[in-house]
Amino acid sequence: MKIEDVVCPFCGCLCDDLVVEVEGTRVVNVENGCTLANEKFMGDHRLKAPIRRAGNGWEAVSYDEAIEETAAILLDADRPLLYGWSGTYGEAQSVGVHLAELLGAVIDNTSTVCHGPSIMAIQEVGHPGCTLGQVKNRADVVVYWAANPIEAHPRHMSRYTTFCDGFFVKSAFRERKVVVVDVRETDSSQVADEFVKVNPGGDYAVLSALRAIVRGKRDLIPPSVEGVSREQLFRVADLCMSAKFGAIFFGVGLTMAQGKNKNIRNAIELTEELNRHTKFTISPMRGHWNVYGSNEVFTWITGYPYAVDFARGIAFYNPGETTSVDILRRGECDACLVVASDPGAHFPRACAEHLARIPTVQIDPHVNATTHLSRIQIPVAVTGIDAEGTAYRMDGVPIRTRRLFYGNYPDDLEVLEKIYRIVREARG
Amino acid sequence: MNFLLNTGRTIAQGSTVERKNSTKYCEEASAVSMNPVDMFELMVEQGDRVRVKSRAGEVVMWVRPDPGLVRGKVFVCLGPYANHLVGPETHGTGMPDFKSTPVSIEPTDDPVPSVAMLMRECGGVPYED
Repeated sequence: MKIEDVVCPFCGCLCDDLVVEVEGTRVVNVENGCTLANEKFMGDHRLKAPIRRAGNGWEAVSYDEAIEETAAILLDADRPLLYGWSGTYGEAQSVGVHLAELLGAVIDNTSTVCHGPSIMAIQEVGHPGCTLGQVKNRADVVVYWAANPIEAHPRHMSRYTTFCDGFFVKSAFRERKVVVVDVRETDSSQVADEFVKVNPGGDYAVLSALRAIVRGKRDLIPPSVEGVSREQLFRVADLCMSAKFGAIFFGVGLTMAQGKNKNIRNAIELTEELNRHTKFTISPMRGHWNVYGSNEVFTWITGYPYAVDFARGIAFYNPGETTSVDILRRGECDACLVVASDPGAHFPRACAEHLARIPTVQIDPHVNATTHLSRIQIPVAVTGIDAEGTAYRMDGVPIRTRRLFYGNYPDDLEVLEKIYRIVREARG
Repeated sequence: MNFLLNTGRTIAQGSTVERKNSTKYCEEASAVSMNPVDMFELMVEQGDRVRVKSRAGEVVMWVRPDPGLVRGKVFVCLGPYANHLVGPETHGTGMPDFKSTPVSIEPTDDPVPSVAMLMRECGGVPYED
């Protein structure tokens, strides 16, 4: 059976034009997808049943037993951490937040190690963003700053920018100028009209120099700023100021590098300066599928987008204190529930070591690095393949994903609701 | 030799991210990309193994050339190998220094560990699927 208009459940692009062929409970072909989408849909490497650590080995357990033991671990903890959430859908994320409130836990999502600093900057100075449709149809200048879309968001350029014609940009390849700013040459920098190579950690200074040029202070710019020549800075600033509609997309190369949230603040303020001359927007390249949705869901319910601490009985948010890496680094949490992410692979080693010391439970369809650190893993259906729900694209557009077939796994929502019910009953 | 470690996404990492016990994922996540001139000075060739050390830890990886990198900088895709080297300090932002970890690199004959072995070093119990 061929299913059209399928939404990809891998990256923040949420491409919604895939054609997927299904035979029984197996995807046999994917059309229009990138390499990442093909691997996601065609992959057949799921954990078969719940597992529990038994001494120096592992044993299979039933779903009921795994769920009851997970609830007991969370109830027994003084400071549980509920982490992940970006690979699942909004309805399941919502149950997670309510579970955290009930437990007095900290709940955090993967933006803590991707665009958390972007959110901190947006909270300071706002977000002059737009939908990807606006970029596709209007932008004649696109800047990718510290992002490598060809590897991380493989269809971003072909669906929205470099290789995609729009309503007001009839021949994108000729009419749209693309600037790539990065510390290294990448596949993306090779297709750019202008590649700006910045010294590592030099983004803040280069952004400041561009702001000065846009403000008319060219005479203040030294011959070279963090490896970028004055002439190139003038050229890029002129290109941006002469655009009819410009769009900056920034990646984690800005949020993870020296300066972090201040880099983003400077980039947003450059966008503000450019809007004195023309129309310019700026947007983060959200990576992990529904990470934007986790920010939305957390904010609806708690007022805060990530790193929410319910220990006081009310929602409290303070990045650097209530963020997962800091809590694990301090050895503060005494239990961890990981949902739809892999902190074992993507957090620093010191955090992985603490996850191994405490009872960690993982709800995830696949064996990953966190599996080895966990006491229990509960496999679930993959959202967008055998589970459906609402996810948010990187530009904040909610899209309903589809269930392609009914498989044998429960989905995240079902498992989390069962845990929630046990905890609620125990807490009265 | 001393280098500055940068980490980030690669398409091979993304393609194998749901098979972290696989050889393919291990190969991609344990590759350290380096300017060919630095490789020459370190007297290593593509595929040779190196021990990478930082203040946070050390791990054995294999080398591959990348002329797009300036000398003195190395790149490892995000994952457990890179994170054996990245420190947990976030400077009050929640975000570790994933893009700028000082490391030293030396040739070695030791084997590249699997992801499961790395997690065992962290205190975990390997699960073989």
